[in-house]
Amino acid sequence: MAAYHADDMLAWMLGDAGRGAVMTTFPMPNIAPLIPEMVVAAAAMAILLWDLFLPRERKHWSAWAAMITCAGALALTLKLAAGGPAQAFYGYFTLDAFAVYAKLLIYGGTILAVVLSMDYMKGEPHTGEYYSLLLFGTLGMTLMASAPNFVTMYLGLELMALCTYVLVGYQRDVLRSSEAALKYFILGSLASGVLLYGISFVYGVSGSFDFAAAGQAIAHAGPDARLAVMLALVFLLAGLCFKVSVAPFHMWTPDAYEGAPTPITAFMSIGPKVAGLVVFIRVLDDVLPGLKADYTTILSWLAVLTMAVGNLAAIGQRNIKRMLAYSTIGHIGFVMLGLIAANADGYAGVLVYLTVYLFMNMGAFAIIILMRREGIQGELLDDFAGLGRVRPGYALAMTLFLFSLAGIPFLGGFWAKYVVFIAAVEAGHLYLALIALLFSAVGAFYYIRVVKYIYFDEERVAFNFIENPLMQATVAVTAIAVVALGLFPGPMIAICKSAIAGVI
Amino acid sequence: MQQAMLNTTELLAIPGIPLAASLTVGLFGWALKERLSHSICIAGVVAAAALSVHVFLQVLDGASFHGNFWTWMISDSFVVPVGMLIDRLTAIMMVTVTIVSACVHVYTIGYMHGDPGYTRFFSYISGFTFSMLVLVMGNNFFTLFFGWEAVGLVSYLLIGFWFKRESANFAAMKAFIVNRVGDFGFAIGILAIWYYFGSVEYKDVFAAVPAFVGQGHSLHLLGWQMDAITFICVALFIGAMGKSAQVPLHVWLPDSMEGPTPISALIHAATMVTAGIFMVARCSPMFEYSETALAMVTVVGAITAWMCATIGLVQNDIKRVIAYSTCSQLGYMFVACGVSAYSVGIFHLMTHAYFKALLFLAAGSVIHAVMADQDIRRMGRLRKYMPLTYVTMLIGSLALAGVPPFAGFWSKDLIIEAAAERHMGWASEFAYWCVLSGVFMTAFYTFRMFFLTFHNSDRVPARTKAHLHESPKVITVPLMVLAVGAMLAGWWGAEVLHIADPEVANNYFKDAIFVFDAHNPLIAIAEESQEHAWYHFLFTAPFWLAMSGIGLAWFMYYRETEYPARLGAAFPGVHRFLENKWWFDELNWKLFVLPARWLGTQLWKKADLAVIDKGIIHGGVIGGIVAGMRAMRAAQTGLVYHYAFAMVIGVFAALTWLVWKG
Repeated sequence: MAAYHADDMLAWMLGDAGRGAVMTTFPMPNIAPLIPEMVVAAAAMAILLWDLFLPRERKHWSAWAAMITCAGALALTLKLAAGGPAQAFYGYFTLDAFAVYAKLLIYGGTILAVVLSMDYMKGEPHTGEYYSLLLFGTLGMTLMASAPNFVTMYLGLELMALCTYVLVGYQRDVLRSSEAALKYFILGSLASGVLLYGISFVYGVSGSFDFAAAGQAIAHAGPDARLAVMLALVFLLAGLCFKVSVAPFHMWTPDAYEGAPTPITAFMSIGPKVAGLVVFIRVLDDVLPGLKADYTTILSWLAVLTMAVGNLAAIGQRNIKRMLAYSTIGHIGFVMLGLIAANADGYAGVLVYLTVYLFMNMGAFAIIILMRREGIQGELLDDFAGLGRVRPGYALAMTLFLFSLAGIPFLGGFWAKYVVFIAAVEAGHLYLALIALLFSAVGAFYYIRVVKYIYFDEERVAFNFIENPLMQATVAVTAIAVVALGLFPGPMIAICKSAIAGVI
Repeated sequence: MQQAMLNTTELLAIPGIPLAASLTVGLFGWALKERLSHSICIAGVVAAAALSVHVFLQVLDGASFHGNFWTWMISDSFVVPVGMLIDRLTAIMMVTVTIVSACVHVYTIGYMHGDPGYTRFFSYISGFTFSMLVLVMGNNFFTLFFGWEAVGLVSYLLIGFWFKRESANFAAMKAFIVNRVGDFGFAIGILAIWYYFGSVEYKDVFAAVPAFVGQGHSLHLLGWQMDAITFICVALFIGAMGKSAQVPLHVWLPDSMEGPTPISALIHAATMVTAGIFMVARCSPMFEYSETALAMVTVVGAITAWMCATIGLVQNDIKRVIAYSTCSQLGYMFVACGVSAYSVGIFHLMTHAYFKALLFLAAGSVIHAVMADQDIRRMGRLRKYMPLTYVTMLIGSLALAGVPPFAGFWSKDLIIEAAAERHMGWASEFAYWCVLSGVFMTAFYTFRMFFLTFHNSDRVPARTKAHLHESPKVITVPLMVLAVGAMLAGWWGAEVLHIADPEVANNYFKDAIFVFDAHNPLIAIAEESQEHAWYHFLFTAPFWLAMSGIGLAWFMYYRETEYPARLGAAFPGVHRFLENKWWFDELNWKLFVLPARWLGTQLWKKADLAVIDKGIIHGGVIGGIVAGMRAMRAAQTGLVYHYAFAMVIGVFAALTWLVWKG
């Protein structure tokens, strides 16, 4: 491990002017790749304190601070990434192209979630803790994205999970919200236990927490270690599947999505999924490469079950947040095709899918939040009736998001599905891809049903929209992104492929 | 004479400008509003007309054009180019189409005023002008087919223009479906051309025809031995029968009168329906080699000319009288083509375009005045209310009846003479008697309509009486322009262009149309007419037949106005037979429409609704999905220990599978 020195560190931060001014040298781990995370952590704590001193009418400054923090951390990450892959803390933290791209999505998701929160949180007393929890959660996700090691991974995962538990139950006086948080917490703890149990088997077989080292040891383990390896495999998969809502470990999802404040639901549908899938890919590829035949079979069955649960159950929902919860599950089922393909194309497909999903899902949530009526969010499907006549702009944007979610060409969602399906077919999983096609046809039904409400039904209750230029801009930007990614998917797919190329 | 090339940009602009106008008004008509919309379309079509005249003048000086602009598709040896062939045949069609179209565009301002579909209508007729120009200007069978189908589409859209009327929708469908029958033959003809000649370009195909015929290609079809060239020509002619409304595919044309009158004039009289005649003339280098096909063209044309004239005798709808007359006149043109007098066919096409468009537009002016009533039984004595319409309609009627010196006389007389001079067995003999007797009927039904509308007794309902007035200038000016055409086009074609005189060295069609000298009846006619004085027509049968037709009409509908009813009562069977249009519609209805509808209903109700929808979709697929959805919802109990239990089951299932597998 190369020994880095504090003056290098400071020189980096201060520029060349700082070099030579500091004479002290002492060995210190290279922490440069970690600077964005440190900025986020510091900002999160600062906001927590700062907010106490803000008068009520200026509480939204915290939101701006959180947004600027994320944007700054993202810029720093990109700047660091320009120097090529780097490691920190003696290999406990890695900043490769894969991690950078994942962080791009994570920070982007958080920024959008903050935008969606600004109006929602207006008048709430504890905005400081809300935004600082969002930032801590984001920190956990970015740690997960950069984890080459079970310890870092678990740290990040728990940080993220604890923040989301609290955020789901943020509206303490709403029964639904507290209930959801408690369920999520209990099941999350169970999943953490399962995951930890799996990690302990890995450590037992390999004697290492490092993904690559553990993977080497497992690959060379003798037949008498087979049982321990199988236990490790199943428990690891189960723990990770919980985080990304794969059936049958998904059951917390609809309750948590419905109970959480809507911006938190939006937040949870992107960042944690990105972080979870990055870990998933690293674990599959680094820790379990010798067990490919085993895990692809298990994941195939889980994928079919997940697609079935997500797409079938969504049909029966009247609440759009619950419907989108099941829709997330359904989409995770499609994303799993990329994991099952278990090659660079498949993993790149996962990133493509998540990129498109970021825009279309955030856009849909933005519309839902904008449709507040008489103090209650537009949560029921019926609430969309007549939107096409009252607000043609919103109606068009929502239609684009829904069509994209359904995978209609030529919108972004079509290419997302196309890329993972093709990867699965080329990896020899033709039947799985066919099943996925059938379920995406089923899925189109409940998305397009909302379009029917929007354009073909009469308005029932008077609409009462939030007029927030920032959110309207968000809707416009995400809608344009969905269309643009649909018309010109090439660059995005190329970037995702290069992000994966260095890792696999 | 040097072969000057025409300017490519100019040629591309001729169809391009109306297309641009059509698209602009079609897409943005809602924003442009009425004034700007019609200005754009009229400017476009007038520009096209001006350029066409310019091209025509250059072509008269010997210029021509042949070239491909780009290749539409290449599939192995199958190449479809897009190009133009401009010769004298094309040029006369271009001028006719654009001038009539320009008149109709202007007329439409007055006729469609206040219609909710005003801008849509302009977009359609400009689009039609584009399609028709592509049809005539193309240099291969595929651009011909493209234009052919495009004009058919616009015709469909315009017949059903008032789409809220059930009868209009029915008529539009009828036109479209009947044309499908013809187009099927047409498509087979084009495919056969490609199959035998390996090209779809006129130039290549026509150059290869003599050698091809020499090789004696033949094919077996349903037990018949047939010349390949005959097969191709007959197939193409079936297409022409559909488009140009020849018996038995004529049934759509009278019903197409459901559309607004301007398009009856433009599409269903002057231009689109004549596409079949244009095509046969264009393909003269092929038809000349097939006596059988020529005989078929002659006979079908003759039957149509005669039969539709008989039906026209008793129709009471002013537009239908003219529509049947159109069918009949198209029959005349086919007779001309069939007896190898293609140039006379095109000549009659041109004169007919002017006087028939004039008649339709004048009829439209009348209809406009009597508040959209088309029944001539509720008109009469309109002369004093609308003198301009009266005069122009009189000119049109005289031209149609073939009274010298109006346009129809020159061309129609030549057709009859050509049928007499061309000796091709019973076919030309039959055709001669048909077209000759047709002259009498034509004159009679034309003037029957004329007298019933403008003279006779005053039968206008009191309600409409207050509304009677001469039409505005935008309607009467196009009438007068076309009236000039109806008066002079015949003389101009015969005496200035020498359209049908092969003896004149610079006769109009010398290169564009190919005729064997042995076939050409015009040579004999030209030789004879050398000896005739200018008043020779006084000694011919057609002139006296036309005069007696007009005289009889005058007698029955001007003087002894109670006579027609008595005549009808005396021959009830004949009258009913003619009034019901020889029962063609009923025959088609029973023979084709009802069985097709029965089959469709069976497939729909039994196969689609019962088996696929109810059985497979609702029973199997939807049932499965709903059951799955219920199961999923039931699993989501909301109880946290159930959720945990599901996770545990998942873990154990995976473990069990792994252990069992080993």
